[in-house]
Amino acid sequence: MQLALDGITKAYGGAVALEAISFTVDSPDFVCLLGPSGCGKTTLLRLIAGLASSDTGAIRLDGIDLALTPARQRGFGIVFQAYSLFPNMTIAENIGYGLRIRGEPAVRIKGRVDELLGLIQLPTLADRYPWQLSGGQQQRVALARAVAVEPKLLLLDEPLSALDAKVRVELRSEIRALQKRLGILTIMVTHDQEEALTLADRIVCMQAGRIAQIGAPKDLYHRPVNRFVADFMGVSNLIDVSTARRFAPALLEGYSGGTNKLACVRPEHVQIVAGGNGARITSIQFLGNVSRLHLDWAGGSLVAEEPGETPLASGAEVGVSFSAQRHSWVLAS
Amino acid sequence: MQAARFADTDRVFAAICLLIPTAALVLFFVYPLATVALRSITEPNGAFGLGNFAVILRSPNFWRAAIHSLVVSSATTAVVLILGLAVAFAVHRCRIVGSPIVMMAVMLPLLMPSLVQGLGLIFLLGRNGLLTKLTGLEINIYGFWGLLLANGLYALPQAVLIIGAALRSADARAYEAAEMLGASGWRQFRDITLPSIKFGLLSAGFVVFTVTITDFGNAATIGGDYSVLATEIYNQVVGQMNFNLGAVVGILLLLPTVLAFYLERVASQRQSGSISDSAVPIQPRWAPRRDIPMTFVAWTVALIPIITLGIVVFASFVWLWPYRFDLTLRHYDVKISGGYNPLWTTIYISVAAGGIGTVLTFMLAVALQRLPRQLVKPFYFICLLPAAVPGLVLGLSYVFAFNVSGGPLYALYGSAVLIAICNCAHYWTQGFLTAVTGIRQVPPSLQETAATLGASLPRVVWDVILPFTAPTIVSIFFFLFMQSMITLSALIFLVTASVSVASVSIMRLEEAGFTSQAAAYATCTMAVVIAASGAMRIVLRLLRRRA
Repeated sequence: MQLALDGITKAYGGAVALEAISFTVDSPDFVCLLGPSGCGKTTLLRLIAGLASSDTGAIRLDGIDLALTPARQRGFGIVFQAYSLFPNMTIAENIGYGLRIRGEPAVRIKGRVDELLGLIQLPTLADRYPWQLSGGQQQRVALARAVAVEPKLLLLDEPLSALDAKVRVELRSEIRALQKRLGILTIMVTHDQEEALTLADRIVCMQAGRIAQIGAPKDLYHRPVNRFVADFMGVSNLIDVSTARRFAPALLEGYSGGTNKLACVRPEHVQIVAGGNGARITSIQFLGNVSRLHLDWAGGSLVAEEPGETPLASGAEVGVSFSAQRHSWVLAS
Repeated sequence: MQAARFADTDRVFAAICLLIPTAALVLFFVYPLATVALRSITEPNGAFGLGNFAVILRSPNFWRAAIHSLVVSSATTAVVLILGLAVAFAVHRCRIVGSPIVMMAVMLPLLMPSLVQGLGLIFLLGRNGLLTKLTGLEINIYGFWGLLLANGLYALPQAVLIIGAALRSADARAYEAAEMLGASGWRQFRDITLPSIKFGLLSAGFVVFTVTITDFGNAATIGGDYSVLATEIYNQVVGQMNFNLGAVVGILLLLPTVLAFYLERVASQRQSGSISDSAVPIQPRWAPRRDIPMTFVAWTVALIPIITLGIVVFASFVWLWPYRFDLTLRHYDVKISGGYNPLWTTIYISVAAGGIGTVLTFMLAVALQRLPRQLVKPFYFICLLPAAVPGLVLGLSYVFAFNVSGGPLYALYGSAVLIAICNCAHYWTQGFLTAVTGIRQVPPSLQETAATLGASLPRVVWDVILPFTAPTIVSIFFFLFMQSMITLSALIFLVTASVSVASVSIMRLEEAGFTSQAAAYATCTMAVVIAASGAMRIVLRLLRRRA
């Protein structure tokens, strides 16, 4: 299964929501549309689902243009942030709804529902109503309902955002396991870069209605193309050329000229040299597994991370060094 | 390149949902109203001109009625606003004794035709009134004071509901902040409460004014020689057969009601705009210096409808009011003006109006939800208009539009069906707005999930929207049913010797001097409405339990 977007644009009134969006993804990839709120990622998902139509451009599934196919005939599965189970139907009826619409015989529906209830590890809840379930359970049912019809494409619209942190992490790996097992091409919208990093085979990072970068999570983290992606994919130190020349010439490796460039160094690649000089610790945040140190360095600030608890204290004079070849040069704007 | 549009069954279904109610509104609301406008400028010789307006505006009778209408409506509005604020404040912001009973008492007049208030006052203060006989005083209740009392009773529930809603939407934190700053209770009322409900008060004022100036039932029963615009239209049309002059008075009556309606919309939108989602509701604490006097005030106000309407029920069982208080059922043996046939007809009509109105408003609300925003506005506008049109004008318009022999819809005239349709048109706005609110509460993601799973629009409506909006649908049906049971003003022009309604029977019995029989008839009508309201509560509770 291959989904190809070709030059999609969409405007609401005068405001441009999406501009020149083109990319191709293949099954069985897990694709994340990642970006801050208002970047157009949900609009894009709705266009793919057929719940809205684009102004220009084409969406093709295995080469077939979907423009004339309404949402209900596309055969996709969708899961929304707010569980959106049908409150008047039992769990089994919810999961079997798509099959019932397709006119499947009751016996087959029951078989499929039982199978899915087992798969989402809620085999005993078939006759309950949605309000009797926890948020995490409801979202599992929504997922089962979406995959029950063996969709060609699974669309997830921030499916984990409404859940507690712990349930979120749990369900995250369950979604991934289910998707791998079924081999369905899946597109998930999220604003959580950690979620995208852990789940996705490919990330489409979006900025103000455009694609900023497409690639594997590692590419986006280690080799962001611009300042926006570098900032969005976690914490980064952005160092300009003149500062690098004066204070950290090692960073100049890979620099290809031009003033509109910044060196991007992740905090874990900044080493603190105790007893050295050139930098001063302004504050320390203890995050559990790591400690994050904020430094005054080269007339600006720098963020470094050390595993576990650090013996250093705020105000201490330290030296700074950068891991070799762990940085990348990105566009400043 | 514009993405190609596809024509599928969903679009056909949405189009049907849009077109049928719209066509009905045009045929049974816009078109009849247009005929009123047309008739008002049709002069006796058949030419178009403003001659009728000149006749009316030169007539001292008209000016007297107009001034009477304005005076009595303004006075009623002032009194009802003060009493309504007192009751609403007592119920929502104080801890008074028996506040549910006070609310129920104040709401009583919603359950009966407007002329029952007048009837109650006649039993109490009329020539053979209980108080008149007991005190021996010469009270003339017919006229300004009777109208003020009767209309006040009739409009009080609406004022209490609107002001109550405004009072409920307040944020407790504002009062806690004022308390911490040292503001007294009175200062808090003046500086926080009054400003925060000023649009609610305005809105209530306009509603009361409109209800009063357009009411026919009380004006006919207790107005006496104090002529008002509502009775003036009736006299022109039914008394003197001056249809075109009646149309002119109708158009002139539209002016204040449309203006009041427009201002009410503006005010109620401002009021709802001031509510914040995160507001903390107020839970009043017991404050004897405030709550004891407020209990007294609220109960005094609540006693007025209890006494006035209770006396109607009581009088219907009394042998000869006010001379012989033996209990009897003899007044329930109504023989004249069709006996109980009109009551049964009214029940059929009300069921039909409830059914037709619920289906049509619901269809339109479904269709409008799927229409682009800029296209929705004109439909919305037409749907709001019926609330601004007095029942008398609507009824008159039906005479003009459908009582035309040889006209395509002449067969409908004088039928119960047309009365049911007229009721739908009359109360369309409230039903429609309720339907829209109900459908807005269905989460869009539910509908989209169903659509993505392959459900067509009719299936989405059946599987998702209907189960979700069942309480709304039940409420619309019963609202239309109960309004149809008690309405009088529009129907006064549409009833015939063979097809009549309960409220007209009550009026005719009272006019003919059978006051106790009128009371008996009113009591039966009330019983049906109270039963309906009880049935609605039961159905709603069952639905809530299932969900």
